[in-house]
Amino acid sequence: MDDITEFHWLMDMIQNIDVGLIILDREYRVQTWNGFMENHSGISADRAKSKEIFELFPEIDKKWLINKAESVFLLKNQAFTIWEQRPYVFRFKNYRPITGTANFMYQNTTIFPLESAQGEVQYISLLIYDVTDVASNRAALKAANANLKKLSRSDTLTGLYNRGYWEKLLRSEFRRAKRTRHPLSLIMLDIDYFKKINDTYGHQAGDDVIRSTSTIITQCKRETDIAGRYGGEEFCLILIDTTAKNAALFANRLRQTIEKKPVIYMSKKIHYTISLGIAEFNYKFSSHEDWLKASDKALYQSKEGGRNQISIYNHDT
Amino acid sequence: MDTNDLKLEEDYIDCFQEIANVAMGRAADLLARILEVFIILPIPNVNLLEASELKMALSAIDENEQVSAVCQGFIGGGLSGEALLIFNDTSFTDIAKLNKNKAIKEADESLELEILMDTSNILIGACLKGIAEQLDINFSQGHPTVLGRHVNISDLVKNNDQRWKKTLAIEINYTIENHNVNCDLLLLFTEDSLKMLKEKANYLLS
Repeated sequence: MDDITEFHWLMDMIQNIDVGLIILDREYRVQTWNGFMENHSGISADRAKSKEIFELFPEIDKKWLINKAESVFLLKNQAFTIWEQRPYVFRFKNYRPITGTANFMYQNTTIFPLESAQGEVQYISLLIYDVTDVASNRAALKAANANLKKLSRSDTLTGLYNRGYWEKLLRSEFRRAKRTRHPLSLIMLDIDYFKKINDTYGHQAGDDVIRSTSTIITQCKRETDIAGRYGGEEFCLILIDTTAKNAALFANRLRQTIEKKPVIYMSKKIHYTISLGIAEFNYKFSSHEDWLKASDKALYQSKEGGRNQISIYNHDT
Repeated sequence: MDTNDLKLEEDYIDCFQEIANVAMGRAADLLARILEVFIILPIPNVNLLEASELKMALSAIDENEQVSAVCQGFIGGGLSGEALLIFNDTSFTDIAKLNKNKAIKEADESLELEILMDTSNILIGACLKGIAEQLDINFSQGHPTVLGRHVNISDLVKNNDQRWKKTLAIEINYTIENHNVNCDLLLLFTEDSLKMLKEKANYLLS
């Protein structure tokens, strides 16, 4: 095979390879580019010739690209840029304009020096790789992971934090309280006669009652307060920067709101109430479990006292 | 594989160290020219690392939120491996001050990435070029990947347990004089590169 044929083969490969190839001179004028560049930019190599690259693509961050390219001219070193730095250098359409999720082509680039026989670098070459799939997959993975994280923390019925995650937050609030000496209160609450609601109206009605309770808790609490579903019909709340006295005001408001807002199930009004127990943080507690027990005791007191009421744990008993 | 291939005699260690010395000196010179500072070079460390040792080193990066790392694969002339640049995050602010193109005092996340990429382009590129020239070969380099940002490092090594036992590691620590800039360049060669590296070394030693 003669050299000319081989040369033509090589040229054909360069023309057809699915990577952008550009040669620039010292003044950033395009010397030539391949079929990839022609097709994605809509500008033929002939028309691009001798035009400054920044004139052809005003979207390029000139300072940024020059900064990268100058180090190649100066150091005769390859330079790489990745899509995480800049999603793209040239704003090209996604290769899959119909089914692709990204609006444009994510690109990695390589810049390398073209040395003359004398070892001088008067020209550089840019390689443009399409990495849209990688970037899109990573974005999808990130979203899926964020969703998983949220799912693993929340209770499916109410959307409040589940018991495991809420207890984790309680532990860290307990440690913080020991350090900062800010007042902090814990509320445990329970729906009164929940079993009776289930038995009378069915489990779906029971679910509605639980959902409605969690909605009211979310509406009443401050943004910084931490609400969770502790178990079946039991809920728990950490009130930040709140004394037992102020927690009692909140608890009573919550109790009254729920008392006044029956759940409508199959056009029947279900009236129900809640009982609450409050325990302010105290240095006597050796762990967050002691604190939980204290609020549980107060809740038990409310139940014993006839339900639909609040009780505050007395640290002296 | 012959077990002899997986041993590293003193002579070879010296020879690889010398090759690394020349290559890293070159890289430091380029960095010094760009930043106009004096770079302090220690003697490169040449070691055969067990997979578990590398894993430990990489997990240390993972646990330590104070470091960032870039890795870049290379292959050519019968050798292959990955270059790993580990960058102390406290270095960013100082190197941002040195880089005169950017009038930013505090390094934000995107600037950190730029600095990381620029530094790795220079150091990894020059080091590999220096090694390739001495061995009379040519490396192709893959695109760099920033570790730790999207990738869980422990996952990276976890899946590779079966493929290799040992890796030849050349470790170079760069420090910039009078500045709080510190980075570690690790060149990791695969097990099967060792044979070719030794052949090349024999040629240089004879």
